[in-house]
Amino acid sequence: MGVVILLVMAAGVAAMLTRKLPTAFALVLLAVVIAFLADAPLTGKGSVLDTVLQEGAPALAATMIAILLGSWLGKLLEETGIAGTLVRKIVEFGGDRPVFVALGVLAVSAVVGTVTGSAPAAMLAGLIGIPAMIAVGIPKVTAAGTVLMGIAVGVPFELPVWQFFSTALDLPVDTVRGFMVKLFPFALVAAVAYVLVESRRRGVEHTWSLKSVRARPARGDRRRRLGDAPWYALLTPAVPLTLALGLDVAIIPSLLGGVLYALVTTTRPREMNRRLLRTLYGGFEVAAPPITLFVAIGILLAAVKLPGAVDALQPLVKSVSPQNTVLFILVFTLLVPLCLFRGPLNVFGLGAGIAGVLVATGIYPAVAVLGMTASYNQVFGVSDPTSTQTVWSAQYAGVSPHQVMLRTLPYVWAVAFGGLCVTAFTEL
Amino acid sequence: MSGDLDVDLAVRLLGGTPTHENRDPVLLRHWAVAATEFGRRMTPRAETVRVVERDGGLDAGLLARYRSRPPVVEVYTDTVERAERLVAERGWRHWFPEGSVRAAALAHEQAHAWLHHTAVRAEFKRALGHTALRFGRRRLYAYVAGADEVAAHAYAHAACGLGRSPLLLTEALAAAVSWESEN
Repeated sequence: MGVVILLVMAAGVAAMLTRKLPTAFALVLLAVVIAFLADAPLTGKGSVLDTVLQEGAPALAATMIAILLGSWLGKLLEETGIAGTLVRKIVEFGGDRPVFVALGVLAVSAVVGTVTGSAPAAMLAGLIGIPAMIAVGIPKVTAAGTVLMGIAVGVPFELPVWQFFSTALDLPVDTVRGFMVKLFPFALVAAVAYVLVESRRRGVEHTWSLKSVRARPARGDRRRRLGDAPWYALLTPAVPLTLALGLDVAIIPSLLGGVLYALVTTTRPREMNRRLLRTLYGGFEVAAPPITLFVAIGILLAAVKLPGAVDALQPLVKSVSPQNTVLFILVFTLLVPLCLFRGPLNVFGLGAGIAGVLVATGIYPAVAVLGMTASYNQVFGVSDPTSTQTVWSAQYAGVSPHQVMLRTLPYVWAVAFGGLCVTAFTEL
Repeated sequence: MSGDLDVDLAVRLLGGTPTHENRDPVLLRHWAVAATEFGRRMTPRAETVRVVERDGGLDAGLLARYRSRPPVVEVYTDTVERAERLVAERGWRHWFPEGSVRAAALAHEQAHAWLHHTAVRAEFKRALGHTALRFGRRRLYAYVAGADEVAAHAYAHAACGLGRSPLLLTEALAAAVSWESEN
């Protein structure tokens, strides 16, 4: 039966790859089929309807709330001009040194990446950052990659991601935080290396472009009247991080602290209510796609944790899972490309199910699975040409997502290798 | 479009450049005038840069491109040809003589290469006069995104003896290409 379940999973990956089914729908369908194959009854304890669908759907509720709050904060950063001001200041101070501007946009992207993820993060940093980099002479592919690499630097400190790994792998937030702190230096070094090496290799580029004279769409009268955000408001992205990392405050209140700080530092008291509601509702819109995905992942996790599924998959997965430290690093480093193109190791897809299998069958300790999946997440977040942030950044810069993948992959592959080494030597 | 002054076209270019979303139009005009003056006065050293002729410019929305590593200027022949035809269609030959589009493209990219020299950059920032930080009487000049594009067009305008700024040609060409692709 284990082989049949694996074949069904492969069919699910094929459906996602060929875009026959949206990822979330494919995951729910997979979960239901796996549950039936695992001999789960229709209702009652360990059943398809009650355990997989009813209990699985809200299983990642804390992550969903964290995602929503991150999106709310992201909307506030956008509406109050905080993200735009950060990029504008960087361009004004260092515009005649393209590498300095790229490093600055990288830093802003990292800061934004700690608050929110996916396309909203890329848009927050990239809407002004990408054309500003291109205007100072950074080649387009390098510009798109810089925003993505920057976001990946922030991801180890993205509080909704901590919540996701904590709930999905049933680990304390402290444990997740501990590994993320170890992963961060690899992401940082790779991102800075990307900017420096690619700038040196590609130099600068200026175009006589027909697009440069076309007026850009207006960004709203409200923004025009507001102008730059005050300097102390620019500290907003550091607030949730300081609360969660420095003062051990829980994730949701930390994010709420960030929302509150952004509001009081940028908004007149009589406008606060309206701005809070407007940005919150905007946050719901931004958070809708990831929340849908987390509902589906919760359902899939519930299915692969059913006793029937665990019994069927354990011998199979155990026979192919390396236990030796060096083999673990080698095999899982070589498997890195399988998290691209919605592949089976994509942690926001079937990868979450595989992680669930590894934990449920007890093949690796949960913390080692955290190390593996968090390392793959670094690759997926930057280079996957089907992920929304990569598609948005590449298209906004005027290049193809595949060009960005080819240029960034060596750097993020190295990050994954670093993360797997840390995992193997500390957790196995 | 041809009724607009060259400086209006330059102000529009700056206004459409990211980081200037909420700038005062008067300030943008000041920068446009300063950048145009600077571009006209530039005397770039002739450097040995390889010139490559390529196709596919209309699809990419490019007329020319300068890359520093290795130094090369790419001229998109299809866009240049379309620009020459446009000049004839609009009756602008007295402003843009035959063959002037290619010459302007080379001059434009030469200006960009020149604007990357440290001393030129510093002088350009002083000419624009935008302050990033002030300590008493000392001040740190800020970079103005898009100003080097205005200066490069102004240099091409002056160096090739054109009747109007190449910005006029660029705007007309962008509108024509966009209209043709939509119909």
